[in-house]
Amino acid sequence: MSNQLLLPNKFKKVGWLMLLPAMIAGVILSVTDYQAAWLNVKVFALVNNGFFDKPQFFSLIETNITNTLVGVVFIVGAILVIFSREKTDDEYIANLRLKSLQWSILLNNILLLFAFLFIYGTTFLSIMVYNMFTTVIIFIIRFNYIIYKSKKIAIGEK
Amino acid sequence: MKNNIKVERAIKNLTQENLAQKVAVTRQTINAMEANKYVPSTVLALKIAKLFGKKVEEIFFLEETD
Repeated sequence: MSNQLLLPNKFKKVGWLMLLPAMIAGVILSVTDYQAAWLNVKVFALVNNGFFDKPQFFSLIETNITNTLVGVVFIVGAILVIFSREKTDDEYIANLRLKSLQWSILLNNILLLFAFLFIYGTTFLSIMVYNMFTTVIIFIIRFNYIIYKSKKIAIGEK
Repeated sequence: MKNNIKVERAIKNLTQENLAQKVAVTRQTINAMEANKYVPSTVLALKIAKLFGKKVEEIFFLEETD
């Protein structure tokens, strides 16, 4: 009885190898505003506009893709980590997975609500940027913690 | 829902690990069921009953709150 949208377990390792470096790089980028000069390239843009310009649609533009690259690696890595089976995966683990998802959506929205109410100006904007990634981070931490805990309890008994 | 998996397991002299392997689930699943923290799917309940050679109702029971 397996109708879950999950990849084989081996993708999890690949996911971690992408996610962790991207997370570190992402933090460094957001603190330093670093942009690699060799990553100035032409890209296809569905929409592009500056603060006061009219948006351009369907155009080739020249831009720096440092952030794009790190973001893409992060998201693909996160998808692989989240949507790969555990080494031993069954209905209880699936249940824990869903519960963790519910929990992380709730917590993320509580944090978001707090940010909306109490944080203003450009700090709010940077928090919005972080917020794009926090749901998956919270989920991954929560899910792995619960799995770890349930394993530990199970091993304690005969 | 309650169950007496632990008792049945003792009668058959199986560890949680043994039982988990026999019904193809993780050890955590057996552990969580015995602690009444997890209600198994119908498929798993039927598999466990079959393994113990009993009816599902003899292993799993409704509680007043169910």
